[in-house]
Amino acid sequence: MPEKAKEPRALGQLFNYFFTKHWPVWVGGITLGILNILLFAIKSPWGASGGFNNWGENVYHAIGWLGLDNATPVGASLYGMLCIFLVIGSFIGALMSKEFAVRIPPRGELVKGFIGGGLMAIGATLGLGCTIGSFFSGLPALSGGAIIFTIGLFLGVIIALKYLMWELEKYPHFSTGKSYTYLASTKDGSNWQKWVGWIILAVTFVVAYLYSGTNETMTWFVIIGMLMGLICQRSRFCIVKAFRDPFMTGETDGSVGVMAGLIVGIFGFTAIKYFGIGAGDMALRSREMTWVFPHFFARAIIGGFIFGLGMTVAGGCAVGTLWRVGEGQVKLWASALGFLLISPISKHLIVPPIVDALPQYLDFKSFLPDYIGYSGAFALVLLVIFTWYIFVKWNERTEKFTAY
Amino acid sequence: MENTITKTLDCKGLSCPMPMMKLAKAMKELNTHETLEMLGTDPGTKSDLPRWCEKTGNTLLESSEEAGGVFRYVIQKK
Repeated sequence: MPEKAKEPRALGQLFNYFFTKHWPVWVGGITLGILNILLFAIKSPWGASGGFNNWGENVYHAIGWLGLDNATPVGASLYGMLCIFLVIGSFIGALMSKEFAVRIPPRGELVKGFIGGGLMAIGATLGLGCTIGSFFSGLPALSGGAIIFTIGLFLGVIIALKYLMWELEKYPHFSTGKSYTYLASTKDGSNWQKWVGWIILAVTFVVAYLYSGTNETMTWFVIIGMLMGLICQRSRFCIVKAFRDPFMTGETDGSVGVMAGLIVGIFGFTAIKYFGIGAGDMALRSREMTWVFPHFFARAIIGGFIFGLGMTVAGGCAVGTLWRVGEGQVKLWASALGFLLISPISKHLIVPPIVDALPQYLDFKSFLPDYIGYSGAFALVLLVIFTWYIFVKWNERTEKFTAY
Repeated sequence: MENTITKTLDCKGLSCPMPMMKLAKAMKELNTHETLEMLGTDPGTKSDLPRWCEKTGNTLLESSEEAGGVFRYVIQKK
């Protein structure tokens, strides 16, 4: 008689629930939205490009370039550490689900990864934020600049998608060629990836505990960063996908997932700002102006556009790069390298002359409630998201703007 | 019964969006009822590919995980 497969017990079932199948993207969006509110309540909202810049500044500080003597050590930088633990969280998620492998793509893809990362660095330093700081957190922060940045992103994504399609048609060899995969455990029956995952999870909590005596905020950032990485990996939460797929295959799951996170974020962020939650000794006004950057509107539109180009070519925005790094996608390792190496150069050498050349009146902090009140701002941002939803759903049905 | 494969598409090592773009392009070049075998290593295809087949009306005949972290799919054009 054939041996009957053993039913997993309660804890096994729970484990399988999280690590067998991918989660719906909207589950990822909602949970990330909640964690984003938590970050804001503790200190300040989610951001990713600042973490990359911190890493890059430490690299240049170590080799004595750019005169970055005041670079904050990564271990003392909230966002530097948030990004590190986002990678680690994704690594844990990939290991637990046995999806981790070092995947080395053909050489052309590595070049695209590096260039995409470099473009994202320029876009983020010029536009004062990335798809997280100036979009996923920026829209809920009721920032007018975030709406402009989002328009720039859309334009950049559309142009870069056209480029990718042209490349596939004219130069297919660029993404073809030798590839290598190492350390995959799919099908081999061993559970080493799961065990390594458990060990790294335990190490994360030890690191968080070590900070608890001196820097409690960091303890929270370490744990939340890890959770964010794990959630992104399991739900394939990807902001590039949200912007790109309606124009590529017409798919809307990625877009709806991001919208779900934005809507959760809007409720939490508005409450925090309106009631001054977590302001402490800070003036109420500075709590209100959190994540409202002085980029309305020239820096936001140009920065958003360049960032949109970069993230589409790389195949991951700042956070999409981070969690794919943890999953072992080597193209995104190249993207991360491009991002962290170009970011300080752009911030200190490329952006200042551009900003000097722009008339100052083109860039200021635009906090929407200052013009249309909290209710008006809340309704306007919801309307932007609702319009986007209607557009992608209409496009999915009619395929008016889909390429394939 | 083994499906007859018309064309094999190697997407190993590629990450999103390249596997799905290459797949969509390759499927365009097939005739009705011909089948495409796709090999890839991006875990994202495990969710993206069945959803795309459902949306486009193409049939996902086989889906399996091979040794070495390779995902294999066989898709029949509608």
